[in-house]
Amino acid sequence: MNSIKAQLFIALLVLLAVISPQVFYTVNMMEKAVLLQFKKIQKSDYEPGLYMKWPFIETVEKFDKRTLTLDAEPERFLTKEKKFLIVDSFIMWRIEDERKYFTTTGGDELSAQRLLAQKVNAGLRDEFGLRTIKEVVSGERQEVMDILKKQANIAAGELGVHIVDVRIKKVDLPGEVSEAVYSRMISERTRVAKELRSQGAEAAEKIRADADRQRTEILAAAYREAQVTRGKGDAISAKTYADAYGKNEEFFSFYRSLEAYRKTFQGRGNIMVLEPDSEFFRYFNDPLGKSKK
Amino acid sequence: MDSSLDVPQPSNGLAARFTRRLGLKMAWNEPGNGKDNGKDDGGKDKKDPWSGQNQDGPPDLDEVVKKMQEKFGGLFGKKGGSGSNGSGGGSSESSPTGFYVLVFGVLAVFWLAYDVTYTIEQAERGVVLRFGQHVDTIQPGLNFRLPRPIEKVYKIDVKKIFNFSDTASMLTADENLVTVKLFVQYQIEKPEKFLFDVRWPNRNPDSVLRSIMESAVRDVIGKSSMDHVLTEGRIEIASQTRALMQGILNDYDTGLLISELKLQDARPPEAVKAAFDDAIKAREDEERAKNEAEAYSNDIIPRARGKSERALADAIAYKAQVIDEAKGNASRFTQLLTEYEKAPKVTRERLYLETIEGVLANNQKVLIDVNKGNNLMYLPLDRLMQSAAGAAAAQSPSRVETPAGNRRDSIPFSSGSRRGASR
Repeated sequence: MNSIKAQLFIALLVLLAVISPQVFYTVNMMEKAVLLQFKKIQKSDYEPGLYMKWPFIETVEKFDKRTLTLDAEPERFLTKEKKFLIVDSFIMWRIEDERKYFTTTGGDELSAQRLLAQKVNAGLRDEFGLRTIKEVVSGERQEVMDILKKQANIAAGELGVHIVDVRIKKVDLPGEVSEAVYSRMISERTRVAKELRSQGAEAAEKIRADADRQRTEILAAAYREAQVTRGKGDAISAKTYADAYGKNEEFFSFYRSLEAYRKTFQGRGNIMVLEPDSEFFRYFNDPLGKSKK
Repeated sequence: MDSSLDVPQPSNGLAARFTRRLGLKMAWNEPGNGKDNGKDDGGKDKKDPWSGQNQDGPPDLDEVVKKMQEKFGGLFGKKGGSGSNGSGGGSSESSPTGFYVLVFGVLAVFWLAYDVTYTIEQAERGVVLRFGQHVDTIQPGLNFRLPRPIEKVYKIDVKKIFNFSDTASMLTADENLVTVKLFVQYQIEKPEKFLFDVRWPNRNPDSVLRSIMESAVRDVIGKSSMDHVLTEGRIEIASQTRALMQGILNDYDTGLLISELKLQDARPPEAVKAAFDDAIKAREDEERAKNEAEAYSNDIIPRARGKSERALADAIAYKAQVIDEAKGNASRFTQLLTEYEKAPKVTRERLYLETIEGVLANNQKVLIDVNKGNNLMYLPLDRLMQSAAGAAAAQSPSRVETPAGNRRDSIPFSSGSRRGASR
């Protein structure tokens, strides 16, 4: 008897173990769920907790309640100036209406993502086509993202999805545009470099010229002063001479001439061809010294 | 005697069933292991819902258990019904039943105890879900919970600091490209939000944070000028980007907190680096040119002043010299004059004769009396001048002039303005 009881007991446990997952189910904080009976939705809008259902007849589909990330591949868009930009964006989205979501996508997240990405890209294409590169990059970036979010949410609503945010990660310039930017940057820097160098040369030249000017002025003033001083010296010495020599002009002339003769014939290399009738030879031929003039 | 004691347990024994239920495929879960036991259920191959396999293997566990049963047989005799006393004809499982139940119970208790207690480390918080509902966030320490299907605890490290760096190239407000490198540090501030509000790709917030950062930093730099970014604006840009990122993270309910954001580097793109470096060099060149000019100025002006001082000094010296010479000469003359005026005739004659005597004595003379002689005569002036030059050189050897030079010096002289030697 005991063995049968025991076996029955064990069999019951086994049965419970098998049946429990089909009867009991939990919905946790991160999940949304729909209850299906033969693929028809019976119940949705679950709060987290423990629930019961009919085994096998009823099934539960669960979806992620959390905000999901969709990071799409970068796409090319044409701007108003007919220039291409490579735009990398990402979308934060959430399943709001799980009934609609299940109905439209069958719970297939990948296909939902594809649809969302399409909608957002179409919106991006439109918005970029209206704007210049500059507007997109700096001024109206946030505006564009807000518009995109609004537009995309209209479409997303049909899927039972809510778009939390659309953000432009980066806007890359295609090769030729970035080359043009580089050229412009380089030429602007070159211009600045040239300007600086020539300013330097200008300032240097000024300083040098000023220094030369000062030098010339200093030297000229010094020359003038020196000449004045020398002049004073000459004047005083001339006066001294004149005062002294003026006392007897004739004697001065005699005296000075003698000195001149002495000095002139100082060297020994002179030849003098003389007539012996000069005053010097007065007594040469005649002891009485009568000159024969 | 219960024949079950002598015979090894078949695969339908409680031990086998127990291990089977745990999903363990034990080697002895197989019936008919070659030992004849005469039991119906033992001899047949019975497939059970779990393993579905029949395996050969040693019935060691059953043997051991049997031996243990023999030791503790008395204890369990009552529990297990007829037990080892052998009621005869009873089920082969009747004796070890109680024992198995006890073992199962003990193991279950241990397993539960292990499952039910858990520790939250100092840096962690525990987020508890009961049947999927969030019921509590637990502080560090030892805690208990209801076992696994009922309650689940997520342990989140809230103190750990995560970080990442990224380099990117982007346009500034004035349509220039710059390359910036950012360093970001973050940690989990609100574990419930972190767990329940956002699904992180690969369970890691890193990729999403990078995307948000890319977006935010471009927003901020797109509104700044290139010069501002490259020079004084780094700190401002970092704080603006951080504020923007944090705002987005809060909007998304991520429960993350950015603890640090630094703009590690901001530079022009590689392609234009040379031009930028040259502009910096140009500024240095400008300074250098000015400095060189200053150096030049500082050199020549003092020199000029020095020269001017010298010129003035020379002039003063000249003046003094000239005046003193004049005074000296004047005084000499004046003194002589005084004596002359006392005896003019004699003094005059004396001076005259002395002078001419000195002059003629030192020079070569040729006396010609043209009044008496004929007018034509031959004067070998070349030879005379040569010998005169020789005499001069002999007398004053320091003069190394050529005879030609001396020739220029000496002038054919005739006293007064009288006729020349030969006309």
